[in-house]
Parts: sequence; structure tokens; C-alpha cells
Amino acid sequence: MHRRRFGVGDLLDGIAAAAVAVALFLVFLVAPREAVMGDIQRVFYFHVAAAWVGYLALLVVFAAAVVYLLRGDRRWDRVALSSVEIGMVFLTEGIVTGMFWAKATWGKPWVWEPRLTTSAVLWVIYAAYLLLRRSIEDPGRRARLSAVYGVLGFVAVPINFMAIRWWRAVHPLVFDSSGAHLAPLMLAVLIFCVVTFTLLYASLLLHRLRLEWMSEQVRHLRRQQGA
Amino acid sequence: MAYLFGAYLVLWAITFGYVFSIGARQKRLQQELQRLREQAEAEDQPTP
Amino acid sequence: MSTLRKVWAIVYKDLSLEKRSREMLSSMFIFALIVILVFSFSFDLRVERVQQVAPGVLWVAITFSGMLGLARSFVQERDQGCLDGLLLCPIDRSVIYLGKVLSNLCFTTMAEAILLPLYLALFDLPFRLLLVPILLLGTLGFSAVGTLVSAMTVHARAREVMLPVLLFPLVMPAIIAAVKLTAGILDGQPWGEIKHWLQLLVAFDLIFLFVSYVAFEYVVEE
Repeated sequence: MHRRRFGVGDLLDGIAAAAVAVALFLVFLVAPREAVMGDIQRVFYFHVAAAWVGYLALLVVFAAAVVYLLRGDRRWDRVALSSVEIGMVFLTEGIVTGMFWAKATWGKPWVWEPRLTTSAVLWVIYAAYLLLRRSIEDPGRRARLSAVYGVLGFVAVPINFMAIRWWRAVHPLVFDSSGAHLAPLMLAVLIFCVVTFTLLYASLLLHRLRLEWMSEQVRHLRRQQGA
Repeated sequence: MAYLFGAYLVLWAITFGYVFSIGARQKRLQQELQRLREQAEAEDQPTP
Repeated sequence: MSTLRKVWAIVYKDLSLEKRSREMLSSMFIFALIVILVFSFSFDLRVERVQQVAPGVLWVAITFSGMLGLARSFVQERDQGCLDGLLLCPIDRSVIYLGKVLSNLCFTTMAEAILLPLYLALFDLPFRLLLVPILLLGTLGFSAVGTLVSAMTVHARAREVMLPVLLFPLVMPAIIAAVKLTAGILDGQPWGEIKHWLQLLVAFDLIFLFVSYVAFEYVVEE
């Protein structure tokens, strides 16, 4: 069983890597130069893709957490943990690239606008999840409590977004990035980048899962020999 | 333009940093696992 | 014993415990007061700015002192072994949750009742009756999630830090809505403009009461 999973993982790695290469080609050589912003706009493709994965990861966490709570199968807890970690990585990338873009186009790296603020809150939720895990020693309890927090986090994010959107609606600094003025070619490149990052996410997830499984093996063996 | 370069630099730094960290952790765990397995086998062999 | 009676039993227990020592209520109240004072000094409030900042200050004070109440409510149980005792009772775990939420709500609103007139006086704000339901709804949302998270952190290391870290990102929308409503009511804004905040707050309360009610079972099981 271990062997077979290796095979799929390798295939996914290969596809993801190839997709990244193609994406880079598309973004820099195929996508048209944006009229108003210039070349800095090319950040947008990976920025959106990264942020998208950051949020997709939360959905996976939610699903895995629910299944874990219902079934008690620890594999799902591992999926949740891995997804939080990877989600956080991608979300960080999304936020940071967004800051570069913002500084170049708006003049300042950060605004308290709905999407940004919600992303910051999501980042904190991921961090809180990891901190929670670190602070509980009993593995069964750790899995259960973090699963509950994963569920709470998933429920909180859309409500958060709505709240902040209404709050900030008074100050219309809303940047409509995927508005009507996105040329069809740009849209195609964007979609490709989103798919690429999703593949990258899946590939990393499998690796991280394997890592966690190994970690558990080590703990198990250590306990056996310690006794 | 510098922003574009900076953004991509950070993006790939983070991505590769993470990939690398997974790889490093994996190697470390692999070694640990190997060591523990050998230890278990050694204990199984009764000393003559 | 009907569910309502069971819930009430838990609330009654907490209330009578507190009545004897009164330490939680007084510390919550004083803490909230301190927060308000600190903000007054930090912002160097002049008359023009007071109106803008005041609603936020109130809810920050309530949130922080609410955390205090939450933390103590479960730690007390654990330290005195009451939690195990409660769990041994043949009642639905989620009933314990409801009881805890209600007792926490009672304590926080009691502190608020003393705090509110002082707050209005310090900031020279008018009393509006509508403030009361908003305080209740906001505190309810806060307690609903807070009780669950507090039960979670009971078993964690550094639990005093974990509670706010875990709770704040979840509870943010409710606080935002509560502040907006408080501001709207104090400013005398037309209802149509702030109505959606009330909808958000009520939705938040209902959603999180439901989710926490269901999840409590998983948090407390051994």
C-alpha cells in the first residue's frame, strides 16, 4: 500500500512541476501587458492563485475535521493538519504578493478592505489552530479539539467576510480585480494559474501527509521501545 | 518593476523554503525510523 | 427532569457559587472599568472624537472582561473537580453547554449593568433603551462561542493565552456588528441604515449557538 501511494504522488509531483513551468511561461510571455498598471500586474496571476489555495485549504480542513469527528479515523486528522499548514503557506504567499502589488498600484502595502482583512483573520485562525495543537499533549484530545476549531474557523470566515464588507462599504476602496475589464486571454492565464496552484497544493498535501504518517510511526516505535 | 521581481522572489522563496523543509523533515524522520527499526530487530535477536 | 430544569440547575449552581464569593463579578467589572480608563488616557479624548471612539471602547471593555469570566468559569470547574462530576451526571453533554452559556451570559450582563451607566457618564452619552437588547445579543454571541472555546482550552498549556488567541478571530464579526449598532443607536441613525448589522448579529448568534451546541459533545468527551 505504501508503494502504490508513492506512485500516484510521483505522478502528481511531475504534473504539478510541469504546470508551474507552463504557468510561468504563460504569465511572462503569453499574457498581454496590462495597459494601466504595466508589468507589475503579472503578480496578479499567482497572487490570486495563492490566495485561492489558501481558502481552498480551509474547505479541506473543514471536510476532514467533520469526517474525523464523525468517524474517529486519525488519518483525517492528519489531512486537516497538513491542509492547515500548507494553506497557511499559500495564504502567506497570497498576502505578501498582494502587498507588493498594493504598494506598486495603490501606494501603500495594506488597506483594511474586506478581502484583505478577512485574509488576515484567516491567517490568524490557521496560526491559532497550530498553536492549539502544540499546546495539547494527549494525541486523541489534540485531534478532537483541533477538529472542532477547524469547523469553527470554517464557519467564521464567511460571516467575517460579510461583516467586514458591510463595514468597509462606506469607504469604497474596493479593488475589483477580476472585473469586467479582464481580457479573455488574461482570464485564461489566470484560470491556468489557479489550476496549477491547486495541483501544487494537492502534491504538497500528499507529501505532508506522508511526513505526518512517518512522524506517527516514529512516535509509535519510540513508545514501544520506551516501554 | 522592482516590485514584480521582489514579489516573485518572495513567492518562490516561500514555496521552495516549504518544499525544502518538508524534504529535510522527511529525511530526518526516515533516518530515525531506520534507526528505531534496527534497534527493534537487534532487541529481537537473543544474545547468545 | 426536563431539559429546561437541567439547564437552570447548572445556572443556579454557578450563580449561587458566585453569590458567596462575588470575586468573579467584581474582577470582571473592575477590569472593564480599567480598560475604559486606559482607552480614555490613550486617546486623549476631546469632545469631537468621543462620539466616534466610544462604541468601540465599550465593546473592547466588554470583550476583555468577558474573556476573564469565561476563563474562570471552566478553570474553576476543573480545579475543583466539578467538571468530572458534571460529566458523570446522566444528562446530555450539550445541556451542560447551554447552562454554561446562560450562566456566563448572566455574569457578563450583570457586570455590564453596572458598567453601562458609568460608561455613559464618562463619555457623556445619552441612555437609549435600544442599547439593552444590543448588549444582550452581542454578549450572547460572545458567550456562545466563548463557552465552547473555553472548554477547549481547559486542557491546553498556557490556557490563559490560548483563550483570547482562539476566540478573537471567531468572534470578530459579532463585535463589529455590536459596535456598529451601538454607534448607530447612540448617534440616532435611522433604523434602515443599521438594520443589516442586527441581522448579522442575530445570524451569528444562531449559527454559533447551534454549531457550539453540537460540537460541545466532542470537546468534553474523555
